[in-house]
Amino acid sequence: MTAYPVLTVTTFLPLVGAALILLFGGERLARWIALATTLGTLAVSAPLYLHFDKTSSTLQFVESRDWIPSLNIAYALGVDGISLLFIFLATLLSILCVSASWTAVQTRVGEFYAALLVAETAMIGLFAASNLLLFFIFWELILVPLFLLIGVWGGPERVYAAVKFLIFTLAGSVLMLVGIIVLYITLGTLDFKAMAQAAENLQPVHQAWLFAAFLAAFAVKVPMFPVHTWLPNAHTEAPTAGSVILAGILLKMGAYGFLRVSIPVLPDAVELFLPAMLVISAVAIVYGAYVTLVQTDVKRLIAYSSVSHMGFVTLGIFTLNQSGVEGAILQMINHGIISAALFLCIGMIYERTHTREIKDYGGVAKTAPVYSTLLALFCLAAAGVPGLNSFVGEFLIIGGAFQTQVWLGAMAIWGVALGTAYLIWLYYRVVMGELNSGLEGLRLELNAREVATLAPLALLAVCLGLYPECVLSYLRAPVTELLAAGVIP
Amino acid sequence: MIGATLSDLGLLVPELILVGMASMLVLAARRIQRAPVAVIGTVLAALAATLVAGWDLSGGARTGFGGMITLDGYSQFFKVLIGVTLALAALLSVRSIDRDQVPRAEYHVLLLLASTGMMLAVSALDLLVVYLGLELMSICSYILVGIRVEKPTSNEAATKYFLLSSFASALLLYGISLIYGVAGTTDLASIAGAFSGQDTGSNPLLLAAIGLVTAGLAFKVSAVPFHAWVPDAYQGASTPVAAFLAAGSKAAGLAVLGRVCLVAFGSEADVLSVFLAGLAALSIVVGSFIALSQTDMKRLLAYSSITHVGYALLGLMAGTPEGVSATMTYAFFYVFMTIGTFGVISALGERGEHLDGYQGLASQRPGTAVLMLIFLLSLTGIPPTAGFVAKFVVIMSAVRAGFVVLAVLAVACSVVTAFIYMRVVVLMYMKEPQEEAPSRFPVAVSAALAVAALVTVVGGISPGILAPWAVSP
Repeated sequence: MTAYPVLTVTTFLPLVGAALILLFGGERLARWIALATTLGTLAVSAPLYLHFDKTSSTLQFVESRDWIPSLNIAYALGVDGISLLFIFLATLLSILCVSASWTAVQTRVGEFYAALLVAETAMIGLFAASNLLLFFIFWELILVPLFLLIGVWGGPERVYAAVKFLIFTLAGSVLMLVGIIVLYITLGTLDFKAMAQAAENLQPVHQAWLFAAFLAAFAVKVPMFPVHTWLPNAHTEAPTAGSVILAGILLKMGAYGFLRVSIPVLPDAVELFLPAMLVISAVAIVYGAYVTLVQTDVKRLIAYSSVSHMGFVTLGIFTLNQSGVEGAILQMINHGIISAALFLCIGMIYERTHTREIKDYGGVAKTAPVYSTLLALFCLAAAGVPGLNSFVGEFLIIGGAFQTQVWLGAMAIWGVALGTAYLIWLYYRVVMGELNSGLEGLRLELNAREVATLAPLALLAVCLGLYPECVLSYLRAPVTELLAAGVIP
Repeated sequence: MIGATLSDLGLLVPELILVGMASMLVLAARRIQRAPVAVIGTVLAALAATLVAGWDLSGGARTGFGGMITLDGYSQFFKVLIGVTLALAALLSVRSIDRDQVPRAEYHVLLLLASTGMMLAVSALDLLVVYLGLELMSICSYILVGIRVEKPTSNEAATKYFLLSSFASALLLYGISLIYGVAGTTDLASIAGAFSGQDTGSNPLLLAAIGLVTAGLAFKVSAVPFHAWVPDAYQGASTPVAAFLAAGSKAAGLAVLGRVCLVAFGSEADVLSVFLAGLAALSIVVGSFIALSQTDMKRLLAYSSITHVGYALLGLMAGTPEGVSATMTYAFFYVFMTIGTFGVISALGERGEHLDGYQGLASQRPGTAVLMLIFLLSLTGIPPTAGFVAKFVVIMSAVRAGFVVLAVLAVACSVVTAFIYMRVVVLMYMKEPQEEAPSRFPVAVSAALAVAALVTVVGGISPGILAPWAVSP
């Protein structure tokens, strides 16, 4: 490996950009600094993708420095196939967030982009961290910028949504803090790999408590039923960039936590909690889908659809077979792409119409053909149409679910059917038919910047649909190792 | 003093510097009513004392004055902390003394002498010297709280503080006398020797002695149920004085409590940890829940400081050297974030004292709002701030000692405190300004805030930074 600390640079470059914006922030300058920083972050992370060895399940680009010598905890970074994909998703979505907010955010621009960049650092750092304390620090760090993004630049109910978001996630994560401390005291290390190797030193009863403590944190973030109630508020009220980060990355942090901590370190507890986790996931899929059906607010509809989609992810993870777990991770990436794209689409049209009510739309295709086409692509992708990305993920998860329990697979298929219903119905009400009289005279068509913002996501949705192996090849080695070490039910 | 020699004075150089400056200010009181000499003198004396105290922190422990005073790493650590607290409090009060028409020289003399008392208390190896140091601190603090003579709230606060604190001093003294009765000595190490053969359960006198001393000290650090004076005292006092009390006197109190618990009552750790666990649990719960309903910033912070004392006690509760180190770390970072928060309140003047005054601050003064945000995040314990590190070490020490339920209670209450602090953030960032933008801060105030913020951030980014120095006695 090279001596160039690529992960550290990638993680902290956005923070440098945030500092620059706060120091020299004029409105125009802030936008350009933010764009340059996010593009620069993608550029400096290039070696990650060029030199990554897909066949190995060990951590790569490892960096380790003394950090807290008295506790023997190091500042340690490293990526495997799973975290690498999320780092890519985070850097990509950050660029799109900057672009999407170019004209949408007009107040306190400097602070907005500074918060966005701090969030980017937290997202990348979380996936790059190879020990639990560092993971936790980034986990908590992301709360602050998102709290401000929702609360300052959000919709009418923003303050309530921001406080609810903060309190829910904090309530979950404080229990994780106790869990981390107990793990450290029992195992003497917080390094992910070392903890997994020392896992047999944990008593099953301790594991159960620890699993519950970590579950509190992860379940709120995913969010799993029934602690999902912060999500509709937060996603709906957040500005577009905030919704994209929430849906694209933040929701994945919890599921990533299951893969990094719960499954490798607490195998006995996983066995114990497995039936409950599967049932909760299945309920989230079906319940989430039904609630989505009745929404009248476009953004809220997409927000609730996340509950259902993340149900697929947790279902896949807890099938604990190769197909299910690979599908779950693929589906996390897919959901990150599609829900981000849908929120971007909604944000773009909201900027013109200033309404999120579905009944205020209709016939958008008449005046905005490009927009309608892209929205159709993303809606179909989200519905799991073959040839687009979600199909593969859902197929793998459902396959895994059938291997575990037949009724789980049946629930998941039911969820897919409902998903198709709410997405197609949404598309029908917004885009088809006669042009809504309220929309007459508005220029609804996208401009070049907006098309450029959506294009990478559209491209990814098609590519991953046609050739999912480009993601799955990264997952094979780490998932095999994860399942080999853990329990097989 | 038995066997005191001139060289023993070497142990007390920081205290002598402060007393020397205090005497000079007293002598020159008439001349310096209007000049900033008093502030500069106080800050210089504080920094000199800090430097001397911190000189060669790693040096071995020395004792003097017949074994009553020591200069060990523990006392040096806290003397540095007290010296810095004094300097920051003096810097913060530049504007408020003018506004409140407080006599400059007297004000600073009292700050200096109170700090001397704190320093004496943290280096004491004898319960009587502990008592003397704490009393010097307390008596100066009563006057400091009531120094705004025209304000009825200030007078009321001072009276309440005086009455309750005297009661606590009496408890402490009574406890010391009982200990003398049981052990025949007031020297900390000898007390431990005398106690080690005793069975606590069968000796109610011993139990009462330990209980009374702990209660007296718990009052000084304002742990529940000995906290009733705090909100009134902080609200009535001028904000820099409140900062000085919240930071300095709590740090000194925790230091004394740590040394007494570990050295003198080490053999009674089981009994003591029950006492301390009770105090900690009550402080955390009561402090955070009452703070929820406060609208006066100083009262809010008063209750939150009670919560923080509860967290700090989690370290002492373990009764181990590691636990005491954890409390030292907590006290250190707590001082800076508290002074920072009170500093912002003080800098904003009248506007800063009410919760509503923070509306829209971020659009008027973005820099000040970011500072306040950092301090509040640190008080909440969100990484990467020093407050998180502090919370992490004390909770770790509680879990190590087997108090897992208490640790869960503590973190659960930190969600409540998060709600409290985030209310201020909501007002600062998410509301429109209702009042005119505050005027520029004096340089001294900005400098103090910058130092506090720097420590808060650096402490959070490199959590191991304090470890070499935070060593228990």
